[in-house]
Amino acid sequence: MMAATAKLRGDGWLGPLLIAPVVVVLGAVIGYPLFTALALSLFEVDTPTLRASFAGIGNYAELLGPGGRFWPALGVTLVWTAATLALQVVLGVAMALLLNRDLWLRSLARSLVLFPYFVSTVVAVLVWRWLFNDLFGLANQGLMALGVIEAPIDWLGTMPNALLSVIVVGAWKFFPFVVIAVLARLQTIPESLYDAARLDGAGAWGRFRDVTLPQIGEVLGIVVLLRAIWDFKEFDLIYLLTGGGPVDATRTLPLTVYQEAFGLNRMGMAAAYAVAMMIVMLGFFVAYRLAVRGRS
Amino acid sequence: MTGKPALSDTSSLCDRRSVLAAALALPVAACGAPDDRKLLRWWSPQAAPAQARAYKAQIKRFEAANPGYRVAFEQTSDDGYPAQFAAAFAAGQVPNIVTHLPSFAAQSYYAQGLVEPMDAVVASIGADRFLPGANAPYLATDGRLSAVALGGTAVDMLWLRRDLMEAAGLAAPPRDWDELRDACRRMQTARIYGAPLPFGTNSMTSLVFISFIHRAGGQVFAPDLTLTLDSPATYAALDFYRSMREFCPPSASSFGWADSLNAFVSGATATGIYGGRVLVNVARQNPAMARQLLCVPYPGQTAATPAWTFNDFPCLFIPKGASEMAATRALAVSLYEPEGYIGQMLAAPGHVLPVLRGITNSPDYSGNPITTMFAKEIATMTAAAAAGHNLGFESAAHAPNVKAGEIIASNAIAEMVQRVTISGEPAKAAVARATDRIAAIMRAGTDRG
Repeated sequence: MMAATAKLRGDGWLGPLLIAPVVVVLGAVIGYPLFTALALSLFEVDTPTLRASFAGIGNYAELLGPGGRFWPALGVTLVWTAATLALQVVLGVAMALLLNRDLWLRSLARSLVLFPYFVSTVVAVLVWRWLFNDLFGLANQGLMALGVIEAPIDWLGTMPNALLSVIVVGAWKFFPFVVIAVLARLQTIPESLYDAARLDGAGAWGRFRDVTLPQIGEVLGIVVLLRAIWDFKEFDLIYLLTGGGPVDATRTLPLTVYQEAFGLNRMGMAAAYAVAMMIVMLGFFVAYRLAVRGRS
Repeated sequence: MTGKPALSDTSSLCDRRSVLAAALALPVAACGAPDDRKLLRWWSPQAAPAQARAYKAQIKRFEAANPGYRVAFEQTSDDGYPAQFAAAFAAGQVPNIVTHLPSFAAQSYYAQGLVEPMDAVVASIGADRFLPGANAPYLATDGRLSAVALGGTAVDMLWLRRDLMEAAGLAAPPRDWDELRDACRRMQTARIYGAPLPFGTNSMTSLVFISFIHRAGGQVFAPDLTLTLDSPATYAALDFYRSMREFCPPSASSFGWADSLNAFVSGATATGIYGGRVLVNVARQNPAMARQLLCVPYPGQTAATPAWTFNDFPCLFIPKGASEMAATRALAVSLYEPEGYIGQMLAAPGHVLPVLRGITNSPDYSGNPITTMFAKEIATMTAAAAAGHNLGFESAAHAPNVKAGEIIASNAIAEMVQRVTISGEPAKAAVARATDRIAAIMRAGTDRG
């Protein structure tokens, strides 16, 4: 017994040693960038020259102050995230339900529905910009031919069209992720549950509400969390579609970070925006965890 | 079944071996001997296919004369270069030479100590080979050159179509804003808009609108670089610009350079606002329109207002810290050798105008089908470009504005235009907001010391 205890004492270094590589890797890929961003946010840094002067909390005071662009950008980011996410979930669940049925060419349909998710964002944006083009685009020409509108609509340059267009394109691009996740879960729901519901007299809506929804709820929760994080920090799609315009109407926080860092050459301020953004995302995550814990 | 099967087996074995050997050797052969030449990188935002071919020819000549070096051409963009350069300078991964960036970008980088003085390169090319005053926009406050002139561009010429003018009963090009508005109104139809003015959050809107301020008799900065944006000329320009919105396509609210050019070249607008690239694009994409083209300096508020043309003064500079400085300078000088230089100018005839003496009248340049066909238009643009200015060089009396690049990249002026013309905000508030932002940019360097 004493020998075993001594051996354990002698091996006391083994645990920390085994865990050390993980700590080092996590420190290098998470801790160091995080610390650098935090440190950078306390300085005024000129991007090209990297000349810096200590600003303390000056950057935070400016971005959160009355002239700062944090709150308007946060507002746009939240509207974009909530609206595109809602559309993605509705479209994704509807499409997954459809693809779970015995359809003709179901395999082909399941493959095709993933296309928007796999196509490069640049290509997707080019296609949509072309569709939205007022001079030659299908959207305007089609609506004019149908007599819905008399003159072309400016889809990307005026509000609220610009934000609506970005939300719709975002939903189109990312809803297949919801389809993949929900469809996989739908295929594992025992048919007997639906049979029992039918015996109890449940209609289509009742079966969806009382059987399908509870069954896919957990998957949907994870999908919503992941997509909320990804949509919140989405950059390329919005930047390529509207560049944040008109004025700042579609300028989300990631676009603001980019503009501060490379448009205005204020790397320190960009880091402050990024840190503030991270805190908001952390808030989302905590809220989600609390909600999940409360439910369980 | 004597020796034949064995032979057959051996031969098939040999075949398999040969095939295997060939398969292994092919990729090795394709890779060739390792390229131990030193790499020089060349960045430019002007990289249409014909231009890229012209650069390749220049690179080939340089590499033949300097076998120890190879040159890689890398494209940047008019709106993307500030971000790309900020990242490159910050990372210390700079290209060897940069061409076709506006003079104010070179001045800005030079003032920050990021660019080599180019006096030695100009001396190697021969200062007297340049047209008079060609290098003036690059003269820094320390008396040295931040860049070398590569070409000139009359960026915001007014392009018109004779057929549409005739149909609208217009005998001559408009000479002031009232006439321009009237011309656009008369030429606009159900299928054709009057003008492709930019209203997007981008550099084109800022740069073009600065010209309108000047065409109303104003300026963004006084010669001593005091901010004078809040002036009657700015309000007049905003007022006119807003009044032109109804003659522009709906998507003009997000127009950049390519959209504006394509709108005119495709025939979707009756007038155009662009440089000489219109010529080659019309000749190639819409040849039926070529004979109808007419180009004049963009009119001012009144016919008496002095003309002001935006010339971005495309230049060549060498970032500080570029590797292989002697070879880099040699590459820079080689781009001005007549054969390659003319080839480069003719890759976009009339768009980048020559700044070396004797090129415009040389048979190699003037004998090109496009320069021959549009000789009058090119002469008009050459005259306009020679008298041209930009935000970094608002007049000969102005001190170099080394913050011009940052002001353009901030989109402060484009956003002012958008607030007034698209969002319908009062001009006074929009100008005040832009003034504050520009003032902060002007202060920023001083604050950091």
